[in-house]
Amino acid sequence: MNLPYQILGVTEQATDTDIKNAYLQAVKDHPPDRDSQRFRQIQQAFEAIKDEDSRLRHALFDFPDITFDALLDSAFARDGSLQPMPADDFLKLLNTLSIEQTLATLNKTPS
Amino acid sequence: MKKIIQKMSTGLTDASLQQTALAHYAARRYKEASDAFKDLLKQPNNAEYKRYLADCYLQRAKAMAGKALFKEACVLWENYTAHGEAPLQARDSYVLWLLASKNSRKAYAALKDFDARQLDEDYPDLAACLSVLLVTGASELLPQLPPDSAVAKHWHTVRDALEAYRNGERERCNAALKNLPFRSPFRDLRTLLKLQWLDVGALEHGSAMASKIPATSPYRPLADACLAYWQTGADFIAAMAGLDLNQRRIIGQARGLSAKHLNLLETLVKQKTPLTDKMRFELALNHRDLFGTDAAQAYCLQYLVDHPGGHKEYLKCFPAKNSFEDNRLQALLANQSKNSYDAVFFWHRCIDSLQTDRPANDKKIALILRHMAERQPYREAADSLIDSLEYDPNDKQSHLKLLRIYEDHLPNLANYEHWLERSLERFPTDTDLLVRAAQSAARRKSFKKAAAYAKTLLKIDPVNTLAKQLLFSNHMAHARRLLKTGKFHLVEKEIQAAQQLSLDKNQLGQADLLRGFYLWQAEDKKQGVQHIVDKLTKLNADPVAMQFQAQIEAGLLGVPTTALTRALPAFKDYLLSAPELERLMTLIDGYDRQLDDRTLLMKALDKIKAPLKKSVEWLLDHEALLQKWCETLATAGHFELLKHSAKLANRKWWKPVWLYYQRLAECQGDARNLNFMDLFGLQQALQNARNANDKTAVMLLTRLIEQARMAQHPLPSMAFDSDESDQNNDDVLEDLFGQIPDRVFERIAIRARHILEKTDPNQFAARIIRQYADRIDPQRLERLFASEDALFAMVLFISAGELKIDTGIRFEDIIERFENDSPQSRFPFN
Repeated sequence: MNLPYQILGVTEQATDTDIKNAYLQAVKDHPPDRDSQRFRQIQQAFEAIKDEDSRLRHALFDFPDITFDALLDSAFARDGSLQPMPADDFLKLLNTLSIEQTLATLNKTPS
Repeated sequence: MKKIIQKMSTGLTDASLQQTALAHYAARRYKEASDAFKDLLKQPNNAEYKRYLADCYLQRAKAMAGKALFKEACVLWENYTAHGEAPLQARDSYVLWLLASKNSRKAYAALKDFDARQLDEDYPDLAACLSVLLVTGASELLPQLPPDSAVAKHWHTVRDALEAYRNGERERCNAALKNLPFRSPFRDLRTLLKLQWLDVGALEHGSAMASKIPATSPYRPLADACLAYWQTGADFIAAMAGLDLNQRRIIGQARGLSAKHLNLLETLVKQKTPLTDKMRFELALNHRDLFGTDAAQAYCLQYLVDHPGGHKEYLKCFPAKNSFEDNRLQALLANQSKNSYDAVFFWHRCIDSLQTDRPANDKKIALILRHMAERQPYREAADSLIDSLEYDPNDKQSHLKLLRIYEDHLPNLANYEHWLERSLERFPTDTDLLVRAAQSAARRKSFKKAAAYAKTLLKIDPVNTLAKQLLFSNHMAHARRLLKTGKFHLVEKEIQAAQQLSLDKNQLGQADLLRGFYLWQAEDKKQGVQHIVDKLTKLNADPVAMQFQAQIEAGLLGVPTTALTRALPAFKDYLLSAPELERLMTLIDGYDRQLDDRTLLMKALDKIKAPLKKSVEWLLDHEALLQKWCETLATAGHFELLKHSAKLANRKWWKPVWLYYQRLAECQGDARNLNFMDLFGLQQALQNARNANDKTAVMLLTRLIEQARMAQHPLPSMAFDSDESDQNNDDVLEDLFGQIPDRVFERIAIRARHILEKTDPNQFAARIIRQYADRIDPQRLERLFASEDALFAMVLFISAGELKIDTGIRFEDIIERFENDSPQSRFPFN
């Protein structure tokens, strides 16, 4: 399992210095006041692989703690940063609007 | 006559029909109601019935529309118009139903009845729906709209904006949207269009704007689709579940989802019931390429802890790389399911695999052994740690853990000394180990050795207080030994060495005090006693502390204290003030740290216990101080004084912490001596401490109760304390009191606690024996009360009686239950 490596964005061959730098950068990008959960994840990831001994322990004994939602997060993550919807797709969505849909959604009639 | 009867019959029928019609109407059975009203209207016209009938048609039309039967809705609405009076209701709905049933001709005709003001002001929702039609390409609608209505007027602007948006002309689009008035029927579309132009950084804010589009807006489905597009993970799935298939496909395409993603998405969206663990496991296995192999494997591994049956399926997707990996996986799963036996077995198999490539795998083997040690009982843990040091001798933590085991958990001086020596060989400059070595040497009275370790420690860490303290104690102990053995010429050197350690005033004074004893022993007794008295007066503000220190110092040298006691001020009737008691505590703590053996400390405290007892009574209002005092006494182990203080304090404050100290003193600090009644009281006190959020008391009480458990004294279980688990005890009490409702039993138990707190168990037993002497032989009862369960059952019985609760249990029932069932043999304390 190499989840801490993924969280810090380093390879399994990364050195202590690489890992520390990645950790510091990740902390800078995700400060605790912005997303405390993510910050905790980053800290835990660093603790798990910060030195050779930790990495060996991680490789031998780390029992994963991952939720199904986390799997969905990785499967349905955005590619890169948040981008506006392509115009064509927005217009296609616009064309899906219908009176029937409105009436069905509301399940009541306007008066 | 016949005519009269007919008329009466008709009147009766009408009355009954009217009743039926109104009943149907009231019960919203509009079909039946309309039939009945139609019958009623066959008679001379009645405006009231007509209104009812019209409303029945209207309600039925709405119900049909609710079922998406728009054609039927239109017919019914037309029927409504035949009977209804102006102004007609749901005119806008009728238009929408006509449009929904693709009857454009009729819809446009109906639209002709709306003027611009009506459409803008009275029917804004219809206008918004018409705006949707225009946007989605129903251009033939435009000529049918009142030309001066907002929807018709704004359409051209919106069309421009959409065209600009399609062409990627941001400024033109925004400029067009700006021309739309705030209350335009296209306002929600404007919001959504604006969002499409937002910068990436502002999209979070944009999604908040989209969320504000009302649920009644015809643009809401588009807003939902936009929101879904911006979501990720589980939120994305949840948002997509609210969209229709076509919208999901468009969003999937916009997000660049692969066919596999869409397949997974559809599986999740179509799942009506919450996913079970097994479903999730299977999804993780089947879609592991989407989730990421490592993450999916990790997730599936967790599943196997509770569902080992999935192991085969797991191995099909994630085959073990080798036997080591397979065993490692099994060991981890066993660890997770707390199956230590299997875990050890599989870890040993891992070690066997690793041993084929030594020394490359030595570190791994050592780590596995240490990992095992963390989960093993102390004896096995010690063995595992020792084994691990064979493979990786440089792990300081393992050395320290081993020392802690041989010091605290499996006290074994020989093993401790052996491993301390080995550890020091490996880490000669480690401060933790040097402290241990110095302490160990001091315990063996090897003062020189201890001093040498302390000096080494000070070289490494010149401000190490512990090292200074150790060195001071060693110099002092050595000086005392020299005094005792008559090597007077060397004493001064040791005293000076102790004083040079720049410690606090008290210790400097203590060293100076030793000079007095030196004078007494080596030169002149009178002069020496005077020096000691002077020093003690300087060091202590009150005669009690002076006496205490004199007793300790004299005791350490083995000299008689009579002369000193005579020379010091009278102390027996002295009452200590709060600061004086505080200073005495510091003195006691200081000596407690310096002395290996507490005998002298106890003797010194015994000597001053009379003034201490009086002082505590005097200081009873200083709760915090007395708590600290009890803590000092508990640490020093003077249980007589502790009991006295705690009892007084408990009587005054009635708090759990005082009961703790009282019971601790009564059991002489050994939880094994706690009896059933004590534990019962402690459990109650723990509950009270929790209720009062008294964390200190909770911690102390929990520790004491735990110690009692660890001493393998089964704790009798109380019905209201489900943590306890003495099954035998449960059986007896359950048999007797099990039928009492919990809430009632709690009241009885609280009363029982009060009785037990106020009355000594022996006194209580004596009282019962006296009370029932005429009904049962006192000796028989006395024998019975040797069992704490019987006594406790009796306390409960008496408590119920005092509370006037009829439990249905008689005095004889308890006697019978305990005599006939020979429960004594099952009693935990027998």
